[in-house]
Amino acid sequence: MTGLAVRGLTARRGAFLLGPVDLEVPRGQAIAVLGPSGAGKTTLLRTVAGFLAPDSGWVRWDGTDLGGTPPERRRFGFVPPNLGLFPDRTVRGNVAYPLRLAGRPDAAERSQQWIDRFDLGPLAERYPRDLSSGERARVAMARALAAEPVALLWDEPLAALDVDGRDALLRDLEELLEAEGIALVLVTHDPTTAATLASAYAVMAAGRLRFSGSPSALAAAPLDRFLARFLGYENLYGPAELRLARDRSLGGRLLRAAGPGGIVVPTDALRWRAGSGDARVAALRDAPGGWVVALRDGPLLFRVHVAGPLPGLRVGDAVDLDLDEGALRPLELADGEP
Amino acid sequence: MPAAEAPPARPRRRWVAPTVAGVLSASLLGLFVLPLVALFADAGAAGIVQAATNAAFRTTIEFTLLASGIAVALGVVTGVPLGYVLARYRFRGRSVLESIVLVPVVIPHLIVGLALLLLLAPRAPLGSIVARLGIPVFDATAGVILVMLYVGASYVVLASQTAFAAVDDELVESARSLGASPTEAFLSVTLRSSARAIVTGALLMWARGVSEVGGFLLLAYAVNPSFPWSGPVTNTASVFIFNYYGIDPHAAVGFAAVLVLVSLAIFLGVRFLDRPGLAWTRGGWFS
Repeated sequence: MTGLAVRGLTARRGAFLLGPVDLEVPRGQAIAVLGPSGAGKTTLLRTVAGFLAPDSGWVRWDGTDLGGTPPERRRFGFVPPNLGLFPDRTVRGNVAYPLRLAGRPDAAERSQQWIDRFDLGPLAERYPRDLSSGERARVAMARALAAEPVALLWDEPLAALDVDGRDALLRDLEELLEAEGIALVLVTHDPTTAATLASAYAVMAAGRLRFSGSPSALAAAPLDRFLARFLGYENLYGPAELRLARDRSLGGRLLRAAGPGGIVVPTDALRWRAGSGDARVAALRDAPGGWVVALRDGPLLFRVHVAGPLPGLRVGDAVDLDLDEGALRPLELADGEP
Repeated sequence: MPAAEAPPARPRRRWVAPTVAGVLSASLLGLFVLPLVALFADAGAAGIVQAATNAAFRTTIEFTLLASGIAVALGVVTGVPLGYVLARYRFRGRSVLESIVLVPVVIPHLIVGLALLLLLAPRAPLGSIVARLGIPVFDATAGVILVMLYVGASYVVLASQTAFAAVDDELVESARSLGASPTEAFLSVTLRSSARAIVTGALLMWARGVSEVGGFLLLAYAVNPSFPWSGPVTNTASVFIFNYYGIDPHAAVGFAAVLVLVSLAIFLGVRFLDRPGLAWTRGGWFS
């Protein structure tokens, strides 16, 4: 197959064990690697980049084994979390670095093209410390692409960006990946970044691949706390919390439906209206485009979003609260969770 | 008994601590500066000019600067790799090596000269090899350089170790991933960003060599012409001044003032290079 393939990859870093990990990223496509801190995402990226030797398994590009290929000849653009910009070189010096290394006679023109491509012209003679985080991310991207990589390995490169800067970069990147046929492995915590670029997801936990597949498969995949949070679920209840509520009818039903890690109550699984039940409106908060309503039933607090103006509710009002049990999502235990 | 009135609040003396600190600091700074003022006052402008134009003293200064320069070259060639090893590798016995680097700082320099003399005496094992190679050490240029290397190379090791340790691994890995071989990444990232600190350490070592005296007293009190010194028999600068003080104290003071000026010039060079963000370390070198 063409593109990046990783099979049965294991590596060791101190006491941490990575893998086995299998991944496939065709040219021009992106995979988002998710997982809590310490899951091994960075170790995976550094192993694919060639900085860590695997204990077993292989990394291939277009079917060629890269086992004996040092990082500088893999043509994988590795961008570390702090971007790795050279502080003692200007923007121009950073972008030109890979071209000068390769001894290209047209290094000056090529770097100028990349500088223009990412609107870095007015900043070309500045040093990284004089740039905003968004500008630095653009320099890192321009520099990585100037090296003409076949794949990009990005470790949270957009983490420090504001929403506007991130979206602008994502648009640029999306287009470039397609046009240049670059495979992208993107470690991220940001659902928007992942959703914009990635056509596949890999979820890691405790060094191993917990899930790998398409976005729609991810939405249907068994949830643990990390994945539920990533997918934007708000109402998560652990087993201990549910046991406190076992005497209430709602709590008892949730406890019966829960998995070993607890349960997720999606907003559309909650049926509620002002009435005479023993649930209460606990808090009301004005939110853009509507209201956030917190409903309390015994020890459990449910957050729901109400679009539009608030239907005459006040804190302390009684509420009838019911569940659509078919829409509940049980939680698995995440690896390493007690 | 009538209720005692509250004791009057003590006036707060906000000026006491700064004043004490100021007086103490000023005393020490004064100790550093006042002797030099006395030296220059005693020498006088005419004395300094006379000293600077004295042929014998010019010779000794030239020799001292040359010998210290050679010592610095050797110190950089050997000390920078050692600094790199100490900064970038973790291994058993590393702290022992770090302690060895600091040994020259705590050993009296007179003893450095004595110990080198014992090691390199013609009948000692190492000394006989050196003698068979035809390299004179006793009262020779090589002896002077060895002493300077011994007492000064630690500055280069420590400066480069600190600089190498401060280089972010992310930068090196980025360079590799952008196509740099390990050697290219070392030159274009690690060494480049450490260059200024290494040059600073080298200048400190140079100044240290120029100001050395104790190590020469036993090993190289007088210096006979020997490679690469083709001039007349001379002394290192401090020894020369020490000698002269017994002959003509006022002239010795003039020589001393000139030597201080030379050392200060090197020192100003260090301070200049040590300023952050200088243009010359940004471009050109290793780029």
